[in-house]
Amino acid sequence: MRRIFDTGNAAICEGAIFAGCRVFAGYPITPATEIAENMARRLPEEDGFYLQAEDEIAALHICNGASLGGLKAMTATSGPGYILFADAFGWALSSEIPVVIINSQRVGPVSGITGAPGQGEFYLSRYLAHGGNYETIVLAPASVQEAFLLTVRAFYLSERFRTPVTILADQMVTDGWETLELPESEEEAQNMDLQRWERKVHPGPDFYPPTDAIDIPPVVLGHNTGGACSDWTPTLQGHDTEDFELHHKHAWRLIHKILSHRELIDDAEEWEVEDAEIILVAYGTPSRVVKSAVQEGRAKGLRIGGIRLISLWPFQDRLFKRKASYLVVELNWDGQLVKEVQRAARGSAVHFWGRCGELPSVKELLATAEQIKEGKTLSRDAWKTERW
Amino acid sequence: MTELTTKYLRDEKARGTSCPGCGLRPAHLKVLEAIDRLGISQADIVWGTGIGCSGRQTYATWKGDTFAGTHGRVYAMATGLRLALPPNKKIILTVGDGDAYTIGLQHLLNCARRNVGVTVVVLDNLGYQSTGGQYSITTPEGSVTDSSPRGTWEQNWAGSGLDILNVIKEAGATFIARHTVLQGDAVVSSLEKAIQNPGFSLVQIVYPCVSHFGVQALGTRNIPQVYTWFESYPLATGILQDSIGSRPEFSDAFRQQNKKVKKGNQDV
Ligand code: SF4
Repeated sequence: MRRIFDTGNAAICEGAIFAGCRVFAGYPITPATEIAENMARRLPEEDGFYLQAEDEIAALHICNGASLGGLKAMTATSGPGYILFADAFGWALSSEIPVVIINSQRVGPVSGITGAPGQGEFYLSRYLAHGGNYETIVLAPASVQEAFLLTVRAFYLSERFRTPVTILADQMVTDGWETLELPESEEEAQNMDLQRWERKVHPGPDFYPPTDAIDIPPVVLGHNTGGACSDWTPTLQGHDTEDFELHHKHAWRLIHKILSHRELIDDAEEWEVEDAEIILVAYGTPSRVVKSAVQEGRAKGLRIGGIRLISLWPFQDRLFKRKASYLVVELNWDGQLVKEVQRAARGSAVHFWGRCGELPSVKELLATAEQIKEGKTLSRDAWKTERW
Repeated sequence: MTELTTKYLRDEKARGTSCPGCGLRPAHLKVLEAIDRLGISQADIVWGTGIGCSGRQTYATWKGDTFAGTHGRVYAMATGLRLALPPNKKIILTVGDGDAYTIGLQHLLNCARRNVGVTVVVLDNLGYQSTGGQYSITTPEGSVTDSSPRGTWEQNWAGSGLDILNVIKEAGATFIARHTVLQGDAVVSSLEKAIQNPGFSLVQIVYPCVSHFGVQALGTRNIPQVYTWFESYPLATGILQDSIGSRPEFSDAFRQQNKKVKKGNQDV
C-alpha cells in the first residue's frame, strides 16, 4: 500500500488511471484545474491522452468520441463549465456511452465565488440533460480517500450501465489535503473492494435492446460491427426513428436499467439513527461536521443521529422512513437536498440548515438541534423565519 | 438503387430522406464514389454526421460503423475518436453548412488547428432548410428566406468579399476544396484527395435545395431552373488549399509526444 499526503484532485486522477481511464479532456476552471494538471502529468506515462479543449462543450464531446472508439475517458469542471456539459452529457446518456464527469462544486449562481465550496448543483446533476425520460447515477465523496474510491466506482458503474456517471464533489473535497492510500497490488485492490470493468465491444446488430438488463456492451466504433449511435431516438439497431413505441422502449431502458439494479449504486452511511429524535442529513464535506455533531450530541445526551448520502441519484427514499425530525445541512442558501428529503420523509418534520462558502460548526448544528427539540422557531442572522 | 448504394448503404436506408429533385442525394453518392475509387474497405471507414437535411440523409446509411453527434460538436467528438482508432481507419463526417460554419465553427477551427485526421464534407444547401428555409452564413446576400422576408442584408461569409474557407485555411486545414454538386468528376477527385490526406480535410459541396432555397430565393420550384442557377455559383470552386503532409497529423503527433515523455522518464 502506498500512503501519500495529497489532495482530492490527485486522488481523483489516481482513481481514474487505476480504473483504466486513458483520455482526459478539460478546460481550466477553479477549483477543478488541478485535476487537469494532474492528468496532464500522469496520462502520458500510461500511454494516455491529455487534451486541453477549446471549451467545456468540446471537453466532454472529446471524451464521448474517445469512449465511442473504446477508450475510457473523463472530464472535470466546476459550475460554469458544468452547465456547458449539458449537450454532451445528454448525448452520452441517450447513446449509452460510458464516460465519467467530475464536478467540484463552488459557490453560485453563475461564476459566484470561485475558491469556496458550494452545493448548488444537486438537482442540476440529476437533470443536466434536457428532455427528461432518464435516470442517472451521481456519487458524492466526502474525503480525499473517498474521492479515489468513488472515481474507481464511477468508471465501474459507467461501464456496466453504459452511461455517464457524475461525481458531485465540492471545493473542500477536491482542494483539501489528506492521507491517501493507493493499492500497489491486485490483492490490495481487492482488500479495498475496488472493482474494475473492462470495455467490451457490442457485436451488434441489436445495440439497443428493449430490456432493463445491464452489462450490455456499448457501441464501439472501428470494429466494423455496423455500430450506429446518435442523439436521435434509436431503433434496436441504432437507426434514427420517430416511432413513439420505439421511443417508449428507449426511455424505458434508460430509466429501468438504473432503477432495476440499485443494489450496485445505492450507498450511504448512517450514524446512531435507530432511536434518534433528530436526524441530520448531508453529503460531501458538510457530512463530516454532521458526524462530529452526532458524536458530541450523543455525549451530551441528545437523541441525535446522522445520514450521509454517498450516492445522491437515484435518490434513496428508503433512508427517510423513520419517524423523526430531519435537519438537512447544505452548502447553499436555497435548499436543494432538503426538498428531496421532504418528499421522501413525508409525515416527518424536515428542517433546513444552509450556508454557502464555509461549513457550519458543530456548535451551530447542535444549537439548531436543541431548538428543533424544544419546538422553537429556527432563527439565525440570515434566516429569520423557518420555512421548511 | 445503383451499384454503389447496394454495395455501401444499408438496405433500409439506401433510398435516403431528401426531397425529390434535391441535390443532396447526388452529393452523398459522390462521397461513395470517391471511397469506391480509392478501394477503401467498409471496415476502414467510420462515418459520422451532424443533424439537419445532411444528417438525416446520411446517418446510419453506411453499412459499416456510423454515428451522429450533437449539432455542431461532431468535430470535437471526432478529435476524441481519432485518438482511439488506429491510423488506417478513416473518419468521414457529412455535415451541413450551419453545423460546420456557425454552431460548430469553434470546434471545426480547433479540429483544423490540430490537423486531426478527418474528412469533413460540408453538404451546403445555402441555409437552414430542414427547419423550413432560414438564411445561414452561406446564403447568397439579398436572398429571400423565411427569416429574411425582405432579403438578407447582414454581411455573411459567402459574399462581401469574405469567404469562410479562408478562415478555415488560416486555422491550419491541410486540404480544402469547394464544388457544386454539378461539377461531376472534379468533386469526386477532390474527395479522393481529401480522404487520402492523413490530416484535416474539408470539402464543401454546394447543392440545390429545391423545396426552400429554390422556391424562396430563386422564386421557382422548377428543378432545371434551380439547377441552372447553380451553374453560375458565384464563389471560387476547385481545390483551394493543398498542403497535405506539411504538418503532422494530430493523433500521430500525440503518440510521438507520449513516447518522448516515457523515454524522458526512463532517462531520468
Ligand atoms: S429541404 Fe431542401 S435541402 Fe433539405 S432535403 Fe429538401 S430539397 Fe433537399
